[in-house]
Amino acid sequence: MTATLQTETVRTPATQTRRPRSLTHPPRTGLLLVLPAVAFVVVFVGVPLLVAIYISLTNFPLIGDYRFIGLQNYLLIFTDPAFGRSILYTLLYTAVVTGPILVLGYLLAVMVRSNRRGAKLLRTVFFLPYVVGLTTLSFLMVLEAQPDSGAVNIVLAWLGITDGSTAWLVDGVLGTILICALVVWGVSGLTMMLLMSGMQQIPSEVYESAELDGAGWWRTERNVTIPMIRRTIALSVIISVIGSMLAFTQFFILTQGGPGSDTTTVVMAIYKRAFVQLQLGAATAMSLVLVVIIGLITAAQFWLLRERE
Amino acid sequence: MTLTRRGLLGSAAAGALAGLFAGCSGKLPEIDTGRASFGRDGRGRVEVWCRAATQTGIQGMVDRFHAQQDRIEVRVTAVPDEQFVTKLATAIRGGRVPDLVDFDDINSMLFIYRGAFADLTDPISTLPGADELSPGHLRLATNNGRIYGLPFLADNSVLFCNTGLLERAGVDVDTATRSLEDLLDAARQVGGLADDIHGWSYPGNGAGALGFTVQPHIWAADTDLIAGRVGRQRGNVAGNPAVRDTLRFLHTLWREGLVPSSAFADDGSRWGSDYVAGKVGFFPSAYDTVVSEASPELLEQTVIKLLPGPRGGRAFFDGGDNLCMLNGAANPDAAWEFAAFCVAPEQQRRLPEGGYIPIRADAATDDFRQKHPLAVPTLDDLDAGYAPTSLAYNLIYNQSDGPWLAMFRRAVFDGEVEAAMEEAQISYDRLLDQAQA
Repeated sequence: MTATLQTETVRTPATQTRRPRSLTHPPRTGLLLVLPAVAFVVVFVGVPLLVAIYISLTNFPLIGDYRFIGLQNYLLIFTDPAFGRSILYTLLYTAVVTGPILVLGYLLAVMVRSNRRGAKLLRTVFFLPYVVGLTTLSFLMVLEAQPDSGAVNIVLAWLGITDGSTAWLVDGVLGTILICALVVWGVSGLTMMLLMSGMQQIPSEVYESAELDGAGWWRTERNVTIPMIRRTIALSVIISVIGSMLAFTQFFILTQGGPGSDTTTVVMAIYKRAFVQLQLGAATAMSLVLVVIIGLITAAQFWLLRERE
Repeated sequence: MTLTRRGLLGSAAAGALAGLFAGCSGKLPEIDTGRASFGRDGRGRVEVWCRAATQTGIQGMVDRFHAQQDRIEVRVTAVPDEQFVTKLATAIRGGRVPDLVDFDDINSMLFIYRGAFADLTDPISTLPGADELSPGHLRLATNNGRIYGLPFLADNSVLFCNTGLLERAGVDVDTATRSLEDLLDAARQVGGLADDIHGWSYPGNGAGALGFTVQPHIWAADTDLIAGRVGRQRGNVAGNPAVRDTLRFLHTLWREGLVPSSAFADDGSRWGSDYVAGKVGFFPSAYDTVVSEASPELLEQTVIKLLPGPRGGRAFFDGGDNLCMLNGAANPDAAWEFAAFCVAPEQQRRLPEGGYIPIRADAATDDFRQKHPLAVPTLDDLDAGYAPTSLAYNLIYNQSDGPWLAMFRRAVFDGEVEAAMEEAQISYDRLLDQAQA
């Protein structure tokens, strides 16, 4: 009797915390069902990430033998002024383009969100630059930004703003302005599509009520549309910021990071370390630092753009 | 078998380890090039990789080699120049390498330093006329007294002089090309002929082209922008008088309007168009840039000089290709047989047909001199050829964001010569440190 009581005393807390077993959904079945997805993530994300972390701890060159060097690559990164400059430049570029992409995308979405006549055509026209892609647009811009002969200079000269001989791509500030303008034009179409889909989910009754209450266009947008598509706006901004932090193609084609390192983005700095300097170990360490930076920025964005009660 | 979370994570770790080992294969087996039978009676297929810019040169050799024998078949794969180093490095790491590479001599040391190329010292020494081979090419392929590349073709920078314009301006070409000061005076005289005629031309935003044509002025003064032996090199820019004089010369040309205004933005894509149009007096460039584009009349009037230093001396960029054999090559004997064929004098004399210059002095026979007079000056003065042996050449000189172009632009277009040199010194040291780490 005493023994039985003791056993029950010991067992009671355990049985209280354990969840009851489901007869229809045994845990093993659940594990098996998620196994393909887990395997996929392990093979294509987990393993490469582990390998990347290991490589970042070596002096892995593209040619020849390698050796383990601990945290040396990371220490060098934080003392390398060129890498620091590339991060600052990328942050500046991101800060400059994010706002205009969102504002222009929003305005375009307002123009095409209704099903009025011609709206579909406008959607297609506004989205076309994104479909064409930054690579093609950048190659076109190489030609159009040439002094004296490019369309950019011809138009500016015609408007009387410049004399038409501006060498856009050999000046850090001018090159950055040109690339920012190109990116805002090329990428706003995506923001437009995302925001438009969010706007089209808002019931028309909400707008009718606002109209009956005497709200004008601006007040309706500020108090109805923007709050109701807050999540979509957050998604657009996060996508835009990540894309800008990873910017490479347009800089590689238009300025190749120059003059000097005036327009070298962080991804371009990583690319050059890996495939020009042939130092994969250091480049991988730089990549992992970039992953952490983007992760922190994205987390901050999630926090700032969260739904508040 | 029970599937647990721990088991799953264990499997993942094992997978990661397997992936890690797969990605880190070791060195390829060294080729024994010292054995007596090396390079004899080869058979089968030889895989050759060449850079796209010099494909014409090697393809001509392959065609003639095939016409001469049928034991060996050579297959050429052209790789875009800017991707060559990366692709070759990846092939080496993957353990599947070509037998031979027709490789930019300036990048040879990258692979030699890391033991990727076979030691060709012994087979080169047995070649007939080995002492006629370009010393500049050989220097770029030499490490610790051993040679790892066979000179194949030359791509040299020289000074093209339009004697038609010079005569009109009353300039004597020999006197004008003695020093930078003489050249400046001559450029002023030529520039005074007409508004659309300029004394000089350079692509002011073309990093590689500027490295190719400007550095020889500095080398002619027996100095370089990089000092020390490979592995311990430092920049030699700040306070270097030859660098200062050369940059001041180029700045003066710009300031006085002696170069076309398009030079400011030219990345090399329009390089030479003004010279072949007959609008420029002096033009430092490569043989093929002018010879393949200029009219016969202009070529008649063109005289070639080696590039002078600030106060005399002469030099030229000893660029071009070496044939390098990869350690781990599947068919080294046949590959060497083909390589030896390519450097034979009778084959070398055919190179100007494709726009290249031979790498051996004895190629310049009387018949050759008559047929290709503009290819001769560098062959007659092979010792003046030079190019820096460094692990960071590509990074410093060929990149648009490299310190060489940044220094050039700040000094030449902004006139801040000293500040540009000081800034470049820091970047040279940093990049050399990184490359040699």
